[in-house]
Amino acid sequence: MDVEAKRIMALSISKLYSLRTQRGGLRLHRSLLLSMTVRAARDIYHTAQLLRDAEEEQVVPCAPEAAPEEPMEISKDTPKEVAVKPKETLQEDKENRCASEQHSRKRRGKTALEADFLPLKKAKMETDEEKQHFQGEVLRTNNGNSCRQTETLTSFPSNRAVVAC
Amino acid sequence: MWPVTKCNWRFVVSGAGGGGNDVQWCFSQVKGAIDDDVAEADIISTVEFNHSGELLATGDKGGRVVIFQQETENKSQSQFRSEYNVYSTFQSHEPEFDYLKSLEIEEKINKIRWLPQKNAAQFLLSTNDKTIKLWKISERDKRPEGYNLKEEDGRYRDAATITTLRVPVFRPMDLMVEASPRRVFANAHTYHINSISVNSDNETYLSADDLRINLWHLEITDRSFNIVDIKPANMEELTEVITAAEFHPHQCNTFVYSSSKGTIRLCDMRASALCDKHSKLFEEPEDPSNRSFFSEIISSISDVKFSHNGRYMMTRDYLSVKIWDLNMENRPVETYQVHEYLRSKLCSLYENDCIFDKFECCWNGNDSVVMTGSYNNFFRMLDRSQRRDVTLEASRESCKPRQVLKPRRVCAGGKRKKDEISVDSLDFNKKILHTAWHPQENIIAVATTNNLYIFQEKVN
Repeated sequence: MDVEAKRIMALSISKLYSLRTQRGGLRLHRSLLLSMTVRAARDIYHTAQLLRDAEEEQVVPCAPEAAPEEPMEISKDTPKEVAVKPKETLQEDKENRCASEQHSRKRRGKTALEADFLPLKKAKMETDEEKQHFQGEVLRTNNGNSCRQTETLTSFPSNRAVVAC
Repeated sequence: MWPVTKCNWRFVVSGAGGGGNDVQWCFSQVKGAIDDDVAEADIISTVEFNHSGELLATGDKGGRVVIFQQETENKSQSQFRSEYNVYSTFQSHEPEFDYLKSLEIEEKINKIRWLPQKNAAQFLLSTNDKTIKLWKISERDKRPEGYNLKEEDGRYRDAATITTLRVPVFRPMDLMVEASPRRVFANAHTYHINSISVNSDNETYLSADDLRINLWHLEITDRSFNIVDIKPANMEELTEVITAAEFHPHQCNTFVYSSSKGTIRLCDMRASALCDKHSKLFEEPEDPSNRSFFSEIISSISDVKFSHNGRYMMTRDYLSVKIWDLNMENRPVETYQVHEYLRSKLCSLYENDCIFDKFECCWNGNDSVVMTGSYNNFFRMLDRSQRRDVTLEASRESCKPRQVLKPRRVCAGGKRKKDEISVDSLDFNKKILHTAWHPQENIIAVATTNNLYIFQEKVN
């Protein structure tokens, strides 16, 4: 589930990047739909990660995945390469490090209290709240100690893209 | 509140025509290159009949408009079908560059709308992403001859050689159709224009982009009135955009606009100058069992069209067509699945960008049948009155004159029957986004990528 969410996130971000170079200027509608999909996928991914972390911390009986699965179709065309440049990722990550750590701590606390929600419902709720601090979000797989930049999804500039329009 | 049962009519795919009032569709003509190699500029981006149906306009990605005219054949001979032939071709829009924003403005024609005919000339509005133009298409079939001061080729005569005076006369000439831009409505849209709609008052029209709708007077190009503005103060709070807008066919104060969230708002211009507050909000509650990553995308409305009688409107989202009664806001009165077999393929369609395709829809003349496009060059005819639907194909293989189109079936899963095509065999590069229906007759224009097919009702 989170593997799929991660794949959709990466795919969406590469689509967002390629939008910028498209003829005719940035398409607001497409950018909006893509960023909504990223958000939905990111929330699922994040929730799955937190659940996994919670399981690791204490022995909890496994709960079945509640969200309906999208059957993963392997398309005939190869998906576009993720256009995220490692350099860019690193710089943006440095910029947003402080804000994101605070943010992820906040999220952790909330999740611990609500352990029996449906992932999708939670995703929707978080989406509304996160609208308030949209910039500087970073999805982390660890406490920020790892140097594995490839697994860190930085704050993609979708909002900046929208604002620039 | 009266007891309401959910009335979504899901139809059984009809058989091969059958008797009674079923219309059988035949191939009539196909326009465009036969090559499989499609030049990008030739991709058709809009199709529109004029109010009488005599003229059929197409716009393409290269910024050109091609108008076809129906020949006035001898109607008494029923075998003869009025054919559409090229009437006029002109370059409507050119690519432009916005130096301030470092953006290229595409010349692709997004929409064409005809004005009702008032005199001998025809007028249409064509728009690209930023600029709307009013074009006058007029015929010239005679020219003045016998000028005193000019030769026939236009050169001025030496005054000393003129010894007599004559009155110039009009003489017939080969028909020439001229298109001239009469108005250019520019610089009013920050975002990309997706719709234009002429008002029933024949004086004003609206243009809609992602966040704003402007009202123009056809005679005035240097200003327009902003009537809808959904741009939030903080763009980060943006949750929906305007996807289509249309004026009511009879009520000049009423228009609707659809959003990327699957809602339609009806606005009354008499209520206030800025119609940010809608008069009616049409929205169907989401079916929670269908929720997925892509729910937002597929609920986005790609087209909205009023019925000719003005009592209903139709919306198209990625998988369905919905008919709404203007007096009922909480749900549509009819829902038709266009290609439900794609619901399980949304992930692949997201990967290849097909999920963002914007399909249009149209009504027939008496609002009894609606039509919309699909993939594999299929298009769907949904008969409201007879509760039947049929899938037809626009293909070069069914191009014999007056060849009856055979209904197509898609096999969603399980064992594929004979004559059925499986979902995985569908060609997603062959999409029918634009279709148009003659306002009075059973003649339809269906645009594939770069070809325009014209089908007519079978005449016995």
